[in-house]
Amino acid sequence: MGKKRIIASAASIILAMSATAWAVSPAMASSRSVAHYSSVPSGQIDIGLSADPPKLDPSLSSALVDRQVMINIYDTLFQLSAKGQLEPDLATGYTVSKNGLTYTLHLRKGVLFQDGTPFNAAAVKFNLQRDLLKISPRASSLSSISAIDVTAPYTVVLHLSKPFSPLLNVLTGRAGMMVSPTAVKKEGANFLNDPVGTGPYEFVKRVTGSYIDLKANPHYWVKGEPHFATVEYKIFTDPNVELLNLQSGAVQFIDTVPPQQVYSLSSNASYTVINKPSYGYQGIYLNVKAAPFTNVYLREAVDHAINRNLLVGAIFRGTAVAGNSPFGPASPAYVKAEDAAPRVDPSLVRSLLKKGGKPAGFTFTMQTAASPLNVQIAEILQSMLSPYGIKMKIDQLDFGTMLNNSTDGNFTAMALGWSGRLDPDQDIYSFFYTGAPLNSSQYSNPKVDLLLNRARAVSNMAQRKALYAQAMAIINHDAPYVFLYHPNNVLAYSNTIKGFVYIPDGLIRVATLS
Amino acid sequence: MIALGTRRILLTLPVLFLISVIVFSLLHLIPGDPARVILGQDATPRALEALRVQLGLTKPLWVQYLQWMGNVLHGNLGRSLQNGLPVSLLIGQALPVTIELAVGTILVSGLIAIPLGIYAATHRGRLADLITVFGASIGLSIPPFWLGIMLLLLFSVNLHIFPSSGFVPFGQNPLQNLQAMCLPVLATAVREAAVLLRMMRSSLVEVLDADYIRTARAKGLIWRIVVIRHAVRNALVPVLTQSGLQIAGLLGGLVITETIFSLPGFGSLLVNSIFSRDYTVIQGGALVVAVLVVGVNLLTDLCYGLLDPRIRMDKGGM
Repeated sequence: MGKKRIIASAASIILAMSATAWAVSPAMASSRSVAHYSSVPSGQIDIGLSADPPKLDPSLSSALVDRQVMINIYDTLFQLSAKGQLEPDLATGYTVSKNGLTYTLHLRKGVLFQDGTPFNAAAVKFNLQRDLLKISPRASSLSSISAIDVTAPYTVVLHLSKPFSPLLNVLTGRAGMMVSPTAVKKEGANFLNDPVGTGPYEFVKRVTGSYIDLKANPHYWVKGEPHFATVEYKIFTDPNVELLNLQSGAVQFIDTVPPQQVYSLSSNASYTVINKPSYGYQGIYLNVKAAPFTNVYLREAVDHAINRNLLVGAIFRGTAVAGNSPFGPASPAYVKAEDAAPRVDPSLVRSLLKKGGKPAGFTFTMQTAASPLNVQIAEILQSMLSPYGIKMKIDQLDFGTMLNNSTDGNFTAMALGWSGRLDPDQDIYSFFYTGAPLNSSQYSNPKVDLLLNRARAVSNMAQRKALYAQAMAIINHDAPYVFLYHPNNVLAYSNTIKGFVYIPDGLIRVATLS
Repeated sequence: MIALGTRRILLTLPVLFLISVIVFSLLHLIPGDPARVILGQDATPRALEALRVQLGLTKPLWVQYLQWMGNVLHGNLGRSLQNGLPVSLLIGQALPVTIELAVGTILVSGLIAIPLGIYAATHRGRLADLITVFGASIGLSIPPFWLGIMLLLLFSVNLHIFPSSGFVPFGQNPLQNLQAMCLPVLATAVREAAVLLRMMRSSLVEVLDADYIRTARAKGLIWRIVVIRHAVRNALVPVLTQSGLQIAGLLGGLVITETIFSLPGFGSLLVNSIFSRDYTVIQGGALVVAVLVVGVNLLTDLCYGLLDPRIRMDKGGM
């Protein structure tokens, strides 16, 4: 009892400390402030992953699957709540200057990295500077930061060259994951194979293509967590094989379920299936610099000829929702009416073809990733376009070649989507702003550029939403990209596992599981 | 015998050199850029260029080749572009898995195919022969990936006899290793056994019709002795060739089995490296495959020598 009381009072002191620090931004409260009273971590959880995470270094990671493992090794400066709201994590509070150019972050005290070194403002500065290096995929989302000052051991000030309201949301992702500066200096380029953070689990070992082992972090700052002593991630590159391993008991949690198996698995009392909208979207880039899509009417004709609801119903069996914007049901910028799939109107399509000077239709080639799912989607699109005389040829390519072609503008149409981010800016800006890295359609519209820049300067989400809606009205009219659907995050776990909290980024946070 | 071996080894050197040049040039001909794959979809041109310079991809191709070859000759296969791990470590982890699977497959298929092939050949035209040949046709038509999934469903999901994943190296725990290898070996061995069985049967049928077998029988030797001592030994030569070819093919061609049984093997390593444009791993891997295939062929040739003294004596033989 005595021991429990000590833990309880320690927890309440930490609670009080974090509450005081957070008071500067009273709108937020941490879901982590509830301390659990649990015994020493024990047992192992085995988790199936659909791909082998290439890089466990948040500064270098470019694959989505990296985050499944990293979220348990690293804490982020800010985190997401179950409702997708911003919450404190390693940063306990913040203030933003009126002009939006100075962010002051107050940091959690008493947090240690897994190598025993302290987490503090100097560590934050080191991390953000590392992310700003040219070869970091994080650099573009942090590029508004012009200087970083450590003003006190646990206070860091970020100076921005121009207002950038998505910043705090960006810090819930990989840019906000804090690595140990000492470990980076010691390991150098090999840090990604021996990562060190402040999260609930520390890295033990990995065998490429096979497994990754973690063990509970004894220094972890959330009392009573984690519950499992060890975590083993097992890699299954085939989703059916991954499911089979859940059923055989080799793993207790899987990060994906094949659409055709979702129904039967959901009706099995031994498993829980999570099937919720993700931040991502899928669609088709139409290259506005390549014929025939230099013609806006022909782009619109393709856009209007596709029946999104039919496509999603035929293929995804409830694991995706039809859409018409980058902002799906999980996004803070989601507006149901604007994302609703447009009704297919054959007479409109024909009149657009006529206006575009191709009343009898035309021929184009769409590049798509060579996977059974992508080819199936392409074939359905093909059949939807053919009644109008629009002949779509399918060119199957591997992902590496597609990425190259998308950068070089070496395509007419290309089916390529985006995994999505919490902040709406990260789902639209780079795709439609003139000359931005993901603007593969080579689209340019000064009005859209202006609206997207204004949305970055406004901090109120309602105002930002209105600006995005205006931008989307123009983008949907110009149709440089045909939005098709928002895939769901589909996870499944054995009912022997308790305590799972679903957060819209779809990551499996092991700390709360028991 | 030693002369034969030395000559064959010397002949392999230009082959290996040619293969290294071909793989290197083909790799750089295929579209796709490692920097692009490493930095992902939203990389800026500035970041891409910086990474290309860092990885040495901006140097002329022949300079890149010479540097790589120079390192290889010093026993250094370089580091993976994706994760910075030594290529030799990655191959060293993956290759034993695939070699075990390939050798296991050939052993098991040999154990099934040779006795059944002999039985079928010596009972030509009878019901037993028909059943065996029919069985072989079925074995040939069953795709290993389908059989693999069926085996997993039966033995792992329903009966819980074998694990569905979780490869353990033999040196670490032999029993768990064998348990993990049983189903994958069986899944691939069925088809390979069918190929070998047909080969064994037809080869033995041919030998049994030969004059020297008639002579041996005419001498009054027991039928069983004629078959085992005279016929099978001669009939095994093409079967051995076939097994050698099969092992060579399996070394790089077990990707599907490796995927289904979650084995961290060589085929998967190579395929993943190709998708991620991990040039150093692909080059190192292709070179190792070439060395292995040449090695297996050499071993097969030396085994011919053991089976058939004429090959040993023939100095001009290849």
